[in-house]
Amino acid sequence: MPTPKLRLAIVTTHPPGKGSLNEYAFHFVRFLRQKAEVSEVILLTDELPPGESYAFEDRPGLAPILVVPCWKFGSMTNALRIRSAVKRANPDGVLFNIQFASFGDGKIAATLGLTTPPLVKFAGYPTIVLLHNIMEMVDLKSAGFAGNPVIEAVIRFIGTQVTRLLLNSDLVALTIPKYVEILEKKYKAQNVVLAPHGAFEETPTPSFALPAGPLQIMTFGKFGTYKKVEILVEAFKLLQNGSRPPLELVIAGTNSPNAQGYLEGVAERYADVPNMRFTGYVSEEDVPKVFGDAAVVVFPYTSTTGSSGVLHQTGDYGKPAVLPHIGDFAEVIAEEGYGGEFFEPDDPASLAAAIGRVIDNPERRRELGTQNYVASRGLSISDVIDWYVLHFQTLIEQRAKSKK
Amino acid sequence: MKIHSRQERGAAVVELKGRFDAHEVPDVRKALEGAAALASGRVVVNLADVNFIDSSGLACLVQAMKHCRERKSDLYLCCLQQPVRIIFELTRLDKAFEIRASEAAAIEAVQQP
Repeated sequence: MPTPKLRLAIVTTHPPGKGSLNEYAFHFVRFLRQKAEVSEVILLTDELPPGESYAFEDRPGLAPILVVPCWKFGSMTNALRIRSAVKRANPDGVLFNIQFASFGDGKIAATLGLTTPPLVKFAGYPTIVLLHNIMEMVDLKSAGFAGNPVIEAVIRFIGTQVTRLLLNSDLVALTIPKYVEILEKKYKAQNVVLAPHGAFEETPTPSFALPAGPLQIMTFGKFGTYKKVEILVEAFKLLQNGSRPPLELVIAGTNSPNAQGYLEGVAERYADVPNMRFTGYVSEEDVPKVFGDAAVVVFPYTSTTGSSGVLHQTGDYGKPAVLPHIGDFAEVIAEEGYGGEFFEPDDPASLAAAIGRVIDNPERRRELGTQNYVASRGLSISDVIDWYVLHFQTLIEQRAKSKK
Repeated sequence: MKIHSRQERGAAVVELKGRFDAHEVPDVRKALEGAAALASGRVVVNLADVNFIDSSGLACLVQAMKHCRERKSDLYLCCLQQPVRIIFELTRLDKAFEIRASEAAAIEAVQQP
């Protein structure tokens, strides 16, 4: 039976906005617009600073996109503003591409923002939350959200209540099977669904060749909360003490919205370390070069918040990874087929040794790069979007049946 | 993986045997495309002998179902083993696919207008 085309709204950050998950949203929206089942994409996104604006390709075969900047990181009124924007746009369904700190770094703003999905659902719209992390797996201390056990307990309690709220959405999609299992067990949830992260397509088969010049040790992301580069700089100092070819440390990306000024502080503290480069914000067109030039991609994480977009990009570009020994990350590696050298999260010597095992051994570098490339080819984000479209179609059909 | 295709009462039945993962996707995709072309999009995939399916396998079936639906027909699944059924439930794709307990029931259902 032919299904009517869908007008889908997505609540998310999006480049040039620099909020977390913006890159995932960029690829998600890009492929969502290519789906024959979709007639329009409504981007309910965050307001940009003065002078910046959203820009999208427009060509035959792409669903039109309506951009509605209607929320602001840290604002207390995001939930109401987004609900109003949804009502005005009147889409067939709403997807939230979020994590726990998507709407603010303050506890109140973050929590209020996370009331949006149930508000939108109760306003009558089929609602799916793509939740990139779950409270049960976040190391709050490392994420900069708790300083003492009492505060941590309070935040965990609030996190549990917020999770219950989010579970009032029609579906909550999670990228890791273990997360599904946790929410099903702890919350007796019946509406959680596994939707793998998916690989960002359209990267050419990697050549594994590196540019002339120093071997680049690269890390990529938004730093300052659970992604801390100090251990990497310390490890880099150790690596430079050895008798190796010239090395360069490339710290690619920006501060986390929750850690303004963090990278500037690191640059000042380590001003005497040679061959270290901060790229600042990496625009989409520069991403291939940043990854392509890297000999190894390092994940200096102290905790994890889900399947890593950076890990998928590392695979896309056929690069080896150096990863922390954190249970969740190890599971991602095992379940998704990625490979890497591991280090102890608090030990620069362990990190230096892990990086050394990659950069000192071209065969190992190529082997891990190939493994990650093959893993990243497993399921494309385009395939994953098909699943979301099917879920929306099913939800809409169910609602239509229940109205009869 | 072994793939066997046949025609049965106007439907194309594709039997798969073994692990259905990323390595098998190209061959299965080819078989499903051929089946859909032969039977005007009325396809039954018998998974009775599939003991494992990964996300690539699921994606392959989703693509095939989409192609069938574009032809105003459908793709039915039947005879899912428990480990395979669990994956469909985990991804909630069991709600999106038409799934029948037996091949006969799937063939009958796929004939319906």
